[in-house]
Amino acid sequence: MTTIDLNDSNAFSEVLFEKMKQINPGISDLELYEFRYGLNDLIPEKGWGFVKLDPKEEIEKRLNSRAFYDAIQIKPKVADRIVLDEQIIRLAQMLFVGLITGEYEQDWIKMHFYFDIRGFYFLHRTLYFTENVLAHFGGRPFKRFEQKQKHFDRNQALGYKDFKEANADIDALFIECVKRIIAFRGTPILLAIAGPTAAGKTEIVERLRSAFEQAGQQVTSIELDNFLTDREYREAKGIHSEGKRAVHFGLFKQSLEDITLGKKISIPRYDTVYGTSSHDLDGNLKPEGVPIEIEPADIIFIEGNFPFLLEEVVPLIGIKVVYLTDDPVRIKRKWKRDIDYRKKYDPSYLRNRFFKDQFIMAQIAYLPQMEVCDMTVDTTGAALWVTPEISKILMAV
Amino acid sequence: MSGTDRLYTPEIYSAFLFDAMKHINAGIEELELYEFRYALDNIHPEEGWDSVVLDKQEEIERRIVSRDFYTRIQLRPRAGDRIVLDENILCLTRMLFTGLVSGKYPEAWLRRYFYFDIRGFYFVPRTVYFTEAVLAHFGGKPYKSFEQRQKRFDRLQEIGYKEFKEANSEIDQAFSESLKTLIDARGLPLIITLAGPTAAGKTEITERLLKRFEQTGRKSTTIEVDNFLLDREYRDDKPMGKESTHFGLFMRSLEMILQRKKITIPRYDFVYATSSHDLDGNLKPKCIPLEIEPADIIFMEGNFPFHMEALSNLIGIKAVYLTDDPIRLKRKWKRDIDYLKKYDPAYFRNRFFRTQFLRAEECYQPLMKVCDIVADTTGAALWATPEIARILDQN
Repeated sequence: MTTIDLNDSNAFSEVLFEKMKQINPGISDLELYEFRYGLNDLIPEKGWGFVKLDPKEEIEKRLNSRAFYDAIQIKPKVADRIVLDEQIIRLAQMLFVGLITGEYEQDWIKMHFYFDIRGFYFLHRTLYFTENVLAHFGGRPFKRFEQKQKHFDRNQALGYKDFKEANADIDALFIECVKRIIAFRGTPILLAIAGPTAAGKTEIVERLRSAFEQAGQQVTSIELDNFLTDREYREAKGIHSEGKRAVHFGLFKQSLEDITLGKKISIPRYDTVYGTSSHDLDGNLKPEGVPIEIEPADIIFIEGNFPFLLEEVVPLIGIKVVYLTDDPVRIKRKWKRDIDYRKKYDPSYLRNRFFKDQFIMAQIAYLPQMEVCDMTVDTTGAALWVTPEISKILMAV
Repeated sequence: MSGTDRLYTPEIYSAFLFDAMKHINAGIEELELYEFRYALDNIHPEEGWDSVVLDKQEEIERRIVSRDFYTRIQLRPRAGDRIVLDENILCLTRMLFTGLVSGKYPEAWLRRYFYFDIRGFYFVPRTVYFTEAVLAHFGGKPYKSFEQRQKRFDRLQEIGYKEFKEANSEIDQAFSESLKTLIDARGLPLIITLAGPTAAGKTEITERLLKRFEQTGRKSTTIEVDNFLLDREYRDDKPMGKESTHFGLFMRSLEMILQRKKITIPRYDFVYATSSHDLDGNLKPKCIPLEIEPADIIFMEGNFPFHMEALSNLIGIKAVYLTDDPIRLKRKWKRDIDYLKKYDPAYFRNRFFRTQFLRAEECYQPLMKVCDIVADTTGAALWATPEIARILDQN
């Protein structure tokens, strides 16, 4: 156990600085005074000596419970500034103190948490390859490459160029595999790619699209959000944007069936500003509504976060993909993209929201979709996972 | 396609601008077009790029050296509940972008008068620190020059202190050696003032100088001049000087410490923006002053107008520690925004744009005209007056 006086805040930060280099090697790029600047916001009012440490089991249990994340506030304010949620602060304070006193072992911390330097906080590691998911893929990946995203370990933010370069091998194989499956299954075919924010969905879809177009194939896309029902209705019923009741389900299913048969379709149009659909709840066009017309094509992308979460449409989609990047890398992409370039959010709002959504979205969207998808591209693990059935197709073609 | 035709289609405008901007700031090459567009979307004019009115180059040149332009910059203009970029700053960047795309403003002209900060995604006028008067004061050329290793930061969007320190190692070493020589040549005790813009690295170099001189067996101390500030409510934004500080106390303190006496000085609280002393220079009830023990070498770090005549005789060596504005801004992104999370990013952009010019005019340029030595870490050059150069060469 330690000999430092927890209430000597200078000694505390100096020792913590050294220990944190083991947790996140990127800390070595900081000077002690920069580390202290980062720590400033987290110093407990009464000093580090007053931080009560919960038992490890309790922390583990809490961080795997949905209720903990539901309670995270995304815009708590002090005066007129958005600050970090209290539970998030408490977690970081506990882990810092536990690391110093030895009550929490380094390995335990590293196993359950990652530390984001720019946000200067700990986040829970979400497990994406659960037993169910592993079983679904027959226990091992179809192919693995060198994990080039390791280069980003010490980065604090990450632009798309570096990211793309690191993913070049796995992305190339992925594109090749999609082509082979399409060759085997024939067109028209529905292709859906799900994946968390900042994993690089939009960019990989763009590249697939141009690969198909170069091969002379017709490509179109269906934006899932267009099937949303009026926001007013969803809010009144307490349903958000997930699940069958959030969308014009009958129309959705019918549209997918029709376009796979090579027919032109006419789908609802959702106005994101007013939160209204062009169609009423019975699926009929409203008097002033203008639907979206989609011409038949060889390859039809379905865009959205939950393209194959609905059981009934799973069999209609020819290729179901989950495109993943590990959480610590995604948050670095978001710092660069959403904060530095887009200036979309307040930085503290992003910190709270990422902490909260990372867990919730994995539970409601990505884990269930990984359990039914055909393939998962894990760019951080540099591994392509496919079901035994897809594996057979890929080997055969 | 003619220059003006490019203004009508946002996709064509942004793609052309993206390529043109790579010549203005090479760091743009690190971006993907879509990332550049994300940033550009924030400043897209409501009525389209073709609605941007382009002022004449001469007019712009005049505007960016007039004090009024900067004093009018608002720090916290709002749209809804968010702080946004000041209208004049926004207007300038839009104009320069559009002039670059249409071909009205030559690239070389843009580069000469402005630098582009990628993270802030805006143009900031270049402030000239080495004015003719300053150059004349230093006899027209630096005392010593080194390889400009800060060049390697050209493409970075933010800079941490470790790499900054590394890039400056030669010039810092030469600066420290020169000070040592000057100290040896002058009697003790001695006051050394170290002025320089925010994020030039004053505090860090002062700490290292202190350590260095302690190793030579001399007792050193520092006085942070900000401690002499009056309560913020009495300063009304006045630059640092007689009217914004406990000036009488300041003068007395310097005189006393030069007589090797222990001094008791005010303490300024940065959180509450209040001084431990009232306007008459008396300690307020319940307040605690700072005590400073006598020493051989007294560093005074901060941006007091050390060029004031009343002060000149008390100060042994007047030094200025400079880093170019584009680099300081990158250091502040890392230090003040990423680590300290001290400001709203839009407030920060407005404030840097405004104070860069105003502080240079109020403080650094006048000081540089009379100071003994300037360390310019970006130019990797040490500047010394002919008199100082003679002392350095003799020892």
